[in-house]
Amino acid sequence: MDENADSAAVSVEGLSVNYDKTPVLWDIHFDIPKAKLVGIVGPNGAGKSTLLKTLLGMVQPLSGRIEFFGETLKRAGQRIAYVPQRSSVDWDFPITAFEVVLMGRYRKLGPLKWVRRADREAATHALVSVGMEGFADRQISQLSGGQQQRLFLARALLQDADIYLMDEPFAGVDMATEKAIIGLMDRLKTQGKTLLVVHHDLGTVHNYFDWVIMLNTCLIAYGPVEEVFHADAIMRTYGASGALIEEAVKLVRGKTSGAS
Amino acid sequence: MNILRYFTDPVLQAPTLGSMLMCLSAALVGVVVVLKRRSLLGEALSHASYPGVVISIFILAAFFPAGQDWLAPVILLGAFTTALLGLFAIELLERRLKIKNDAALCFVLSIFFGVGVLFASRLQFEHALWYKTMQVFLFGQAATMNNTHVILYAALAALTIAILLLKYYPIKLTLFDRDYAKTVGVRLAALDALLFVLIAMAIVIGIRSVGVVLMAGMLIAPAVAAKQLTHRLKWVFILAGVVGALSGFLGNYLSLEIPAWGSGLGWKFTLPTGPMILLSASSMSLLALLFAPKQGLVGRKWRIATFRWVSQGENLLKFLWKKGDSAVVRFTDLRAQTPYSSLQLWLLLSGLQRQGWIKRSRSGGYALTSDGVVRAGYIVRLHRLWEVYLVHLGQGVEKVHCRAEEMEHILTPELEQQLVDLLNHPKQDPHHQPIPYSERLP
Amino acid sequence: MIQNPYSGKNLFEFLILFVQRMGELLTGKLSLASLASDEVQVLVLALVASSAATIGTFLVLKRITMLANSLSHTILVGIVVAYIVLLPWLPGAGAHAHGISIEVLLGASLVTALLTTLLTHVLTHVLKLQEDASIGLVFTTLFALGIVLVTVFTRSTHLGTEAIMGNVDALHLDDLYLIFWVALIDFALITLFFKEWKATTFDPAFASANGISSARYNHLLMIMTSLTVIGAFRAVGVLLVLSFLVAPVITARLCTHRLKPLLLYANLIGIGSALISVALSRHLLTVHRLPVSTSGLVVSMLGVVFLLVLASRAVKAKMQRID
Repeated sequence: MDENADSAAVSVEGLSVNYDKTPVLWDIHFDIPKAKLVGIVGPNGAGKSTLLKTLLGMVQPLSGRIEFFGETLKRAGQRIAYVPQRSSVDWDFPITAFEVVLMGRYRKLGPLKWVRRADREAATHALVSVGMEGFADRQISQLSGGQQQRLFLARALLQDADIYLMDEPFAGVDMATEKAIIGLMDRLKTQGKTLLVVHHDLGTVHNYFDWVIMLNTCLIAYGPVEEVFHADAIMRTYGASGALIEEAVKLVRGKTSGAS
Repeated sequence: MNILRYFTDPVLQAPTLGSMLMCLSAALVGVVVVLKRRSLLGEALSHASYPGVVISIFILAAFFPAGQDWLAPVILLGAFTTALLGLFAIELLERRLKIKNDAALCFVLSIFFGVGVLFASRLQFEHALWYKTMQVFLFGQAATMNNTHVILYAALAALTIAILLLKYYPIKLTLFDRDYAKTVGVRLAALDALLFVLIAMAIVIGIRSVGVVLMAGMLIAPAVAAKQLTHRLKWVFILAGVVGALSGFLGNYLSLEIPAWGSGLGWKFTLPTGPMILLSASSMSLLALLFAPKQGLVGRKWRIATFRWVSQGENLLKFLWKKGDSAVVRFTDLRAQTPYSSLQLWLLLSGLQRQGWIKRSRSGGYALTSDGVVRAGYIVRLHRLWEVYLVHLGQGVEKVHCRAEEMEHILTPELEQQLVDLLNHPKQDPHHQPIPYSERLP
Repeated sequence: MIQNPYSGKNLFEFLILFVQRMGELLTGKLSLASLASDEVQVLVLALVASSAATIGTFLVLKRITMLANSLSHTILVGIVVAYIVLLPWLPGAGAHAHGISIEVLLGASLVTALLTTLLTHVLTHVLKLQEDASIGLVFTTLFALGIVLVTVFTRSTHLGTEAIMGNVDALHLDDLYLIFWVALIDFALITLFFKEWKATTFDPAFASANGISSARYNHLLMIMTSLTVIGAFRAVGVLLVLSFLVAPVITARLCTHRLKPLLLYANLIGIGSALISVALSRHLLTVHRLPVSTSGLVVSMLGVVFLLVLASRAVKAKMQRID
């Protein structure tokens, strides 16, 4: 892989995304350098989850360019790991913790191949690194919220990716797990990984993240936390001006869907 | 053929009235089912009522010869019993065993039906005449109803309506906001139980005319049609009832009229009433889905097209405005400098003329009227305000123009006011062009 | 006419004889062509149960069993319409000696399966109707249309109870071949792509992000369901297949919380019920002179097995509390 040493880990330009005729993201652009812990913040419905899904190719944008280390998703896909929201999964599914983690290897294996011993060893290793080695054979419905989240992280770790996209990993999680997750994220950062994390708690942005992306359908600001994350920008994201955009989006949806 | 005949002719009277009453009660109950998003409960319960039909016929067959109409209530009671049992089983599966809703429904649906099939096979071998009766419930057979049936169904329909009327306000509350209903003292468990019993009753009443398999549709279709036409619960019930009764009538009417018309042309065929009832209901709901004024597809597409048309007109106004207040522009220049085809342009211009925004000058060119100047200025104002807003949010100046092109046609006066307040009465847009002062349009 | 070796046997004799003859079949002493009708019934039902349990597991876990119900109703319509309406017009599609030819079956059902999913999709996404109502409207309307077409073309309002409930007693070797291939395809696809099925069912978002298209696997599952429904058509009729798809899986879920054992138990429950039911059917005929519908019996048996498992769980729980 001919990687330009300067190419940003994630580079987005002119990204506009519609979801079911409603504009969700308007002209988003940012360049995230390598080895950064980036928090993505914004009010509900601001398009944060949609941004992640668009980066992963799960949602087709209206326009825009997305690059990872200078490459398209097709070529760089193997280097990206996704940790979806915990609520997106049926936790009554008949599967053990170990099997969930093992799924992290599925992409590498491809279809028609079976899981090998090396994959299993790696999965055990991943469970250890999130502190869940005793839970390997537990059915997932028996796990607490924090344990379920750790499981998702272990699965992502197994992919040995360079970029991690996480959707609200701290939601509904106990303090100990939150600390553990942050510790893990820091460790990944020192290993040179880049993490984009959708986050809901403004109070912890300073402590947790190096960079921040502030989103409310439009990109309000992005960059190092000390430079960008201050009261004025927060007001523009969440305050009255933020509410205005929501109104406007509602109106647009009304017109484009013929409801009004 | 005369419609009135269907109500006066002794042969046609019972099937027609009976079907209408059945479908009426099914439709009313169906509103509750559809609004609770449990449309497929009707499917499960109607299949669950089947073994009840069969087993009660089985028991009757041991004592009575076939063809006794007065025994109908017994059969209905049997159907009702197993339908309730099925309901109970579904609740148990979901609550106690944590089985998901769709699997619980399909489980009850298929197992109960299988039990019915098992007993029906015995019936087929031993009491062949009673077997025919059972078939009537599988596929429906309105034609063999008589006045006793009608009285029975009328009574049951009246009961359904009475219960719905009595409990109207609690039902309305629980449909809209369950948690709130609880806090104001509605006994949810009791109300749910009552509603489920009502559903079972409506199904059991209905299977005689449309049959077990199609019954689910009679719960769903009228409610869907009604829901498309109104948002007010009272009217949803009323309209659904009307659609239901109408379907009951049309089913009977069409199943006789169409073959009659056909035989006039030399085609001989019959039509089954049950399916015709359902097809009438489905057609009506399809029509509602397409043509309902507010929610129908056609209406929506129309409004989208109108919006686009209006936006294009407004773009033309802006174009003229930018040429200068009293500029006169010829058609050919307009054609060259705007992206519209000649026909489009001509239509747009005629429309704008008719509305009074532009006028033709003596030389044949187009110019803004004084109203047009105000209107065009207003649109430009909205455009530039939005650009200021986007830059305020943090967008780059080069990017804001495209979005503003969209939003200028969408922003309302309320939002305009909010923008002005938020941005502190800006006088210039990011490209240093002045923002036209707003004069409130009538 | 070869005498049916099972006539006059009761339940236990049946089972013993069956095992014996299956052994002979495997070692080659018995040929397929000389299988008794009871044996064909067991084999067909067992294969139906097995393939249904296998794909039913994923239908239940994906919570799309109602779609399967919808499909089974509309496929019935497709088959009947094709048989009654189109068959006389199709050159060379030729009625099979024992009913409908395979090509007609497959063609009609795949077309209707496609139609069903397409219409449901249009109702939910274009006409903006809630999903449960869309499913219900589509299959009842198509079913009603089917009955109308049948009535118009055959002058009888009878859809044919056989189409709905099947006729196990009329099963023939050709039906065995059909269901055998269906079962093979089902097993092959599930086994080959097992981890993909697991991933798309458990976490579709994660799967899509990892290059496994959840949408494509869902479509594939619908096609496999249609095939299984067709395969079961002659044996249990199309409406009872649903019980094979759902009941064994639900029962097995009470016994285990791991995926592979779930598949195994569901298969065993389905196959076991099939075997016992045919034996019981013969038993009832022999000992009590009571002919019954074997398909109805199998489905009822699935219900009974569920209740038994439920009861044993309750007993076990009580005993644990006593300790």
